[in-house]
Amino acid sequence: MTELAERSTARLHPRTRAAVRSAGGRRSVLLLVIVAMLLTIGLGAMMSASSVISIKANSDQFELFTKQVLWVGFGLAAMVVTALVPYRIWQKYSLPLFVATIIGLIVTLVVGSRRGGATRWIEMGPVTLQVAEFAKFTTLALLATVLTKKGRLLRELRHVVLPVGTILGVVTFLLLAQPDFGNVLLIAGPAFVVLFASTVPLRFIFGLGTLGVMAMAAIAMSADYRKARLLNFLHPFADAQNTGLQAVQSMVALGTGGFFGVGLGQSRARWSWLPNAHTDFIFAIIGEETGFAGATIVITLFALLAVVGVSIAYRAPDMFGRLFAIGIVSWFTLQALVNIGGVVAVLPITGVPLPFISSGGNAMLVNLAAIGVLVNIARTPRVATAEAVSV
Amino acid sequence: MSAARRGNRARIWKPGDLRLLVVGIVFVLVWGGIGFRLFDLQGNQAVALATVGFDQRISEETIAAPRGTIYDRGGVELALTIDGWNVVVDPMMLDDTVMAATVLAPFADTSFEELVTDLTEGQAKESRYAEIAMRIDTAHKEAIESAVAEYNAGVDKKDRLTGVFYREQPLRVYPAGSVAAQVIGLTAYDMNDGIEGLELTFNSELEGDPGRLIVERDPSRRIIPQGQVIVEPAIAGSDIVTTIDREIQFAAEQGLRKAMQKTGSLSGAVVVLDPDTGAILAMANAPDFDLNDRSSASPEVLRNRAVSDMYEPGSTLKVLTIAAALEEGLVSAHTMIDTPHSIEIGDFTYSDDGYNPPQMSVRDVVAKSSNIGTIHIEQMLGNDRHYDYLTKFGLGRQVGLDVEGERHGTLPPTSQWTATSGSSIAIGYAVHTTALQMAALYATIANDGIWTEPYLVDEIIQPDGTRITTVPRAHRVLSPETASTVRSMLGRVIEEGTGKRAALTDYTAGGKTGTSFKFDVERGVYSKDTYASFIGMAPLNDPRIVVAIVLDSPHGELPDGVSLSHGGASAAPVFAEVAQNALHQLGVAPDRD
Repeated sequence: MTELAERSTARLHPRTRAAVRSAGGRRSVLLLVIVAMLLTIGLGAMMSASSVISIKANSDQFELFTKQVLWVGFGLAAMVVTALVPYRIWQKYSLPLFVATIIGLIVTLVVGSRRGGATRWIEMGPVTLQVAEFAKFTTLALLATVLTKKGRLLRELRHVVLPVGTILGVVTFLLLAQPDFGNVLLIAGPAFVVLFASTVPLRFIFGLGTLGVMAMAAIAMSADYRKARLLNFLHPFADAQNTGLQAVQSMVALGTGGFFGVGLGQSRARWSWLPNAHTDFIFAIIGEETGFAGATIVITLFALLAVVGVSIAYRAPDMFGRLFAIGIVSWFTLQALVNIGGVVAVLPITGVPLPFISSGGNAMLVNLAAIGVLVNIARTPRVATAEAVSV
Repeated sequence: MSAARRGNRARIWKPGDLRLLVVGIVFVLVWGGIGFRLFDLQGNQAVALATVGFDQRISEETIAAPRGTIYDRGGVELALTIDGWNVVVDPMMLDDTVMAATVLAPFADTSFEELVTDLTEGQAKESRYAEIAMRIDTAHKEAIESAVAEYNAGVDKKDRLTGVFYREQPLRVYPAGSVAAQVIGLTAYDMNDGIEGLELTFNSELEGDPGRLIVERDPSRRIIPQGQVIVEPAIAGSDIVTTIDREIQFAAEQGLRKAMQKTGSLSGAVVVLDPDTGAILAMANAPDFDLNDRSSASPEVLRNRAVSDMYEPGSTLKVLTIAAALEEGLVSAHTMIDTPHSIEIGDFTYSDDGYNPPQMSVRDVVAKSSNIGTIHIEQMLGNDRHYDYLTKFGLGRQVGLDVEGERHGTLPPTSQWTATSGSSIAIGYAVHTTALQMAALYATIANDGIWTEPYLVDEIIQPDGTRITTVPRAHRVLSPETASTVRSMLGRVIEEGTGKRAALTDYTAGGKTGTSFKFDVERGVYSKDTYASFIGMAPLNDPRIVVAIVLDSPHGELPDGVSLSHGGASAAPVFAEVAQNALHQLGVAPDRD
């Protein structure tokens, strides 16, 4: 693959080149449209969901909304940059970026500020840095780089287990120290999909997958609060006032919305009935204000994002592009599924934000940057295809 | 172009492509599953879930209706409702009960030690409610608020005193304090349920109709602005304008209080009537209490004795027999009546105090209050006519239109009368009356013979401004000429008879003394204690007021040796003082120099 990618596209027939470009172009435009719609819906929902908490904090109901708009702006700027920078730069610098991430995670543990029993944030003046959000990007980039480089060696178990185990092990260890189980899942999950999409033999994948699931289950049950969440998830109404509160209130919000919703800005759940309405449970507010109709649009957009993302991976010019692209797509898809799954109470509540919609600056910045990378992968000409045609 | 794409796809199929396809399909399927779950929640279960949400948000509250104000006849507030507060704490929200008690104790209803115990025990019982200061006014509440704020400003956020709640509690206040206390009455501790006096009689008018507020609230009970709101406003209570004149009431209470001190009476009552209308200008009772200090309100002081205490009226009732005989044409003012020292009727001997001539004119019988003379006149009248006049003058039934706690007195029908009943009743025994009944009787004489129902409430002013005015019932009992004749006889009582101490400096007046022995129920005989009374009117030609005074068991004697147990000695001076003040208050021109 790599030797193919290095060949110039100049030798291609002009019509073929145009076709390639326009096929990639169409995917990237579709991707951008989907993301733009999600961002729009997200800001609308933020305006409603965050107003109550903003008023309580300092009487400016647009405080959190304004912040979010600012972060979307930064994110879009980052996206333009990553869309223009050839994506192979992430392959080239994947190791230094990963090392920087690891250092960041260690620094977080040392100087990070503690909120709600977890040390996840580094305060830097007006900005709060959550390294875990960047870790998703850099870990997936390194994983794609390593798997690409190993090539045929992946048929041997040790060439799979050693590098993958080391990378995931270090990140998992540092995230669990915070603790941040949600992001461990959101790195391990996409990593598994990346493995699956690579040339690693299926028997390794199933073996590693089984081990991974068992490890996650063990970790999930190791902390009491996670165990409680897991068990309460099965019977939220058993203790609707306490442990089942969020799940029950989330379902109540969705049910209140019905088919067409109670109307924009009319949510009742955001009035402190549903905790974290503007972060983890923003989808419930969307479902309440715009009903099944609006909620379906959101999940359809996420499904479309997955389809377009997979198709970009499929069309990627090289193995790194393919693996990185599928990693990014799986990351967004799994994060959205884990979040919405919790909101509709088919999954335990993990406290991960909904990509492009929930409040949160770091996530918005990294997510949009990752979209830029997908755009760049989609728009990079497929030398391999041209070769195949010319043969 | 499309041909090229199809060609490309066919040719470069790689091992990983199938796996990507699997990933894509799995993703889409999972999103589809989420879609089904959403449909289940927002379609199938929507109503049930929305109901759970609605039930937890909705709250129905009562909006208190402002209680009406009670005014005197001149528009002075006697009872009104103002903003007030109950201050309570949630002990479970306190970190440090001692610190909380230190901040709150200076304003609390209880001592510091009691408060600490309360709060600590509350916490132990996981109680969410402890009273700090109940039924306090806004200034008191603001003092608590600023003390809490001051404390909170000086400590870390986590140590702040929270869990202090201020709940609206309208306060019923009585600006005139003890004035007309038994007439106005009281409300229950909720300050909106009348339990005594006018507050009770007119409770349904005063309390109004509470409204309803149905709103959606957040978990901290704050109203959600976008929520449903149903407001059924409260309908304010009606205001009540009484016939009481605060100044005359005050004068009556002052006069009564002085007499109580001078005579050591057990109790006393004064009624001031406007004879032309029946309006009760004052109704004073002793002992009394301060309406704003509920702890002083025992049943003993709450009684409106002018209507609830029955007594045998004694000589004040003699005018009824005289007036009836005059009206029936049996006697005139100058008809001579035999007045031996004593007479026997049945097995009972009636006698007069002191030494009277063997014959006296009717007007002298009144002036000297002769028992024998009155009994002789009653014998001319006969039981049936006597009874007829007794009922026409309002005895034996409730006479007050709207006075709480009124007794009807006792007046046995003639069928139950014994040989002595007529004679005894003629001189004011064997019947029981209230001070109000006797005042109304004298008001008939003052009002040219027309008996008018006494009443306390002149107007009810509804919230929309509609006024309901009282029209008391009235009927003629005596001709104006008879009434006038009786008035001049009553004038002579003060001029030269038993009631000299009732004379007013500025006005002519007429009235009658009364002294009746109290029946000792335990021993079954009359005791030496008396009811001393005086009922009079002024000015004599066209009386503007009737004043009745009754003292229960006055003791002691005047410097000249006259016993204060007599109405002429103890009650008559009260009449003089109260009537004089009342007439000045009413702006009546003096008719005596």
